[in-house]
Amino acid sequence: MVPSISFESELAELLPRLRRFAYTLSRSAADADDLTQASVERALKSRGQWQEGTRLDSWAYRIMRNLWIDTVRSRSRRDRVEAPAEEADRLGEDPTASMDAAVDLSRMMAAMERLPDEQREVVALILIEGFGYRETAEMLDVPIGTVSSRLVRGRTALLGMVGA
Amino acid sequence: MGWWGHDVVTDEKFFAWLDGELEGDEAKMVADEVAADPGLARKAEEHRALQRRLSDAFGTIATAPLPDALAVPTRHEPEVVDLAAARRARQSGGWSGLPQWAAIAATLAIGIFVGTMVPHRSDGPVMVEGGRVYAAAALDQALTEQLASAPSGDTRIGLTFRDQAGAICRSFTQGPSSGLACRNGSRWQVRGLFGSPEGQSGSYRMAAGMDPNLAGLVDSTMAGEPFDASQEMAAKDKGWR
Repeated sequence: MVPSISFESELAELLPRLRRFAYTLSRSAADADDLTQASVERALKSRGQWQEGTRLDSWAYRIMRNLWIDTVRSRSRRDRVEAPAEEADRLGEDPTASMDAAVDLSRMMAAMERLPDEQREVVALILIEGFGYRETAEMLDVPIGTVSSRLVRGRTALLGMVGA
Repeated sequence: MGWWGHDVVTDEKFFAWLDGELEGDEAKMVADEVAADPGLARKAEEHRALQRRLSDAFGTIATAPLPDALAVPTRHEPEVVDLAAARRARQSGGWSGLPQWAAIAATLAIGIFVGTMVPHRSDGPVMVEGGRVYAAAALDQALTEQLASAPSGDTRIGLTFRDQAGAICRSFTQGPSSGLACRNGSRWQVRGLFGSPEGQSGSYRMAAGMDPNLAGLVDSTMAGEPFDASQEMAAKDKGWR
């Protein structure tokens, strides 16, 4: 086995999912792609800290989430220049994606953006990225009950915003 | 199971059930409650629909093509070159040669490249954008359209193969230089470009085979075997993805 090869190729395979997570966290497509690239670079620099045999995806998501927190906390909210409603236009074309889903993305991003950060990340990790409660709790370093109650509040608020 | 702590269907418990986090008796208890309560059943359906919408909407990002700027840089820096990988690639049918070639070639690639191969010419074979080097003009066209078996113009395509990250790479010779480019989104990112020494003619190079520096770079980049003619054709038809 050659660790560096599997590390790089596994990270490359994760890229679309990491990018999706970045979109759930970020306020604009440009921010999301910047966050994705920064996370990949951080992951490559920190590869020595990843333990083989453990999940690379959780580790990489954690890196992205930490970077996102650093970015959000250090940045003024006034520099939100792009309305989330326009984001779907920037995604690039995928003829296989249904138009409806692409259009709905704008509404979903706008709704996600209105959630408090701690609810948004839990909704993203569990409802969109498919992690379990326990995995999410470990990733975020919070008790599982905290994950559960944030998820209740987040999804209830989301449903109120976008309807059923 | 007891981390929910109650025997009534709290929101936490209801959603844990909906998300498949409950097991056994606890799951059955909530399922029974939901079945018996139209309000809870409707709530379950609304939230399932919400999750489907979230998955579908954000799923469009996971399936969209990645922008050119997004990539895991695999073999750009000499210190990243993995000698064990080069050795392994060679054992699986690559070139014969010294293991250090990979590292040497990568160093030379960058040195020669920056020094001589990127003059400020608008019609040159490569262009630099955002710190990356891409094939341009006729080279880009040849990499995209030409098959190794059917050379045309002054660019010849050599090997086509996938790198460790799964990107398709092609080696090429154009006039006095030869190099390696790998697909990055809709473009060809040049991983290495080598100039032949003065006085070394095209026919001499042809007879001598692949530039040893390029051979080393190819050796360290390739995962598996090079494509045969039909694989090359199929890859072309799929847009080199």
